[in-house]
Amino acid sequence: MTRRLAFLACVVVALVLTTVPALAHHGGAAFDQGKTVTFDATVTELEFANPHVLVYWTVKDGPAAGQMWSGWLTAPNKLQRAGWTKKTLSAGDHIVVSGNPHKDGNHVLQIRKLVGPDGKDLPLFEQ
Amino acid sequence: MRTFIAFTIALLVVVSGFTPTFAQGGRGTAPAATAPSPPAEPRDLQGVWMMRNPPGSNRGFTNYTFTDPKADPPALTKWGEDQFKLAKDSNGGNYRLDETNDPVLTKCFPPGTPRVYFHPYPFEIVQTPKEVLQIFEYDHFMRRIKTDGRKLPEDPDQLWMGTSVGRWEGNEFVVETVGFNTRTWLDRIGHAHSEKLKVTERFRRKDRDHLELDFTLEDPIALAKPWKATFFYELRPNWELGEISCSGDYQDFTKKEKGEK
Repeated sequence: MTRRLAFLACVVVALVLTTVPALAHHGGAAFDQGKTVTFDATVTELEFANPHVLVYWTVKDGPAAGQMWSGWLTAPNKLQRAGWTKKTLSAGDHIVVSGNPHKDGNHVLQIRKLVGPDGKDLPLFEQ
Repeated sequence: MRTFIAFTIALLVVVSGFTPTFAQGGRGTAPAATAPSPPAEPRDLQGVWMMRNPPGSNRGFTNYTFTDPKADPPALTKWGEDQFKLAKDSNGGNYRLDETNDPVLTKCFPPGTPRVYFHPYPFEIVQTPKEVLQIFEYDHFMRRIKTDGRKLPEDPDQLWMGTSVGRWEGNEFVVETVGFNTRTWLDRIGHAHSEKLKVTERFRRKDRDHLELDFTLEDPIALAKPWKATFFYELRPNWELGEISCSGDYQDFTKKEKGEK
């Protein structure tokens, strides 16, 4: 029951957020900019490489529990200027990650919000 | 039901903390520039500069083209219009990476002058007695702007970044660039140019932290009249340019976009 309610809540949130403006990026057309999903997840890998840093994770619970996903961030140079290093996330870290899912249903996300293991938002852009 | 409503509200509260943050590389609004700063030597342009719109200015188009495409589009010739219709840009969400014909994204071609300004990365200016070096973080492209008094070549070679000469007019550094191949776009949405393109830039250091840059693009084949714009940059004294390589890294990413390793 709890899982079903959680899923319904996620659907409601996704619908409410349909006005989110397009994240501007090359390749952004592949992602559903009107839909946002959120995962409670465990990091499996951080790929700190151009042109986009990639985070890989396993979903902890909810209807997608056990699924493997990856998500895009901006370029490593930009994240470094925002304070990141290649060790900011490591395998086993707990994250809460939100973003726009791939239109074709592939398990890929354009990350729009990322809460790190310490419960704080990780910066996604340089200033 | 009460639990459901409470959970939904809680989730909305959590998610509402998420302000859509735009990549500086796209059709979004980059962080606004800071307020005026102390004066600086106007003929010293050195340092790392990042495009930032002035306070209160919402000029999201500056991340991908020179002027607002709807309110103030460029005056194109028939040829320019026809070429623009062929462009399938992937920088604002219109085409996927596996659909675009963007020469940078599909072939890793150098972006050329002036498109290099639309890559969402800083550039560094180094001034030497005979030339000004403009080093772009995006793919390490460098312009050597000759300041030794030479004239523009009358029959220039066709290069990616063109051939540039610069001179001071008062406190404005004026750079003229000619000699381009035709394998680049003028911007990230696909405006075309011919080998007749001439780019004139006027750099003005307004104060310690702010640089203004006027662009005038002339191309009798692509543009019905000169295309003009002013962009704004902010000094980033603590930034260092890093490595970015399009080759390989970018083309592999078309697969990663789909979740393939």
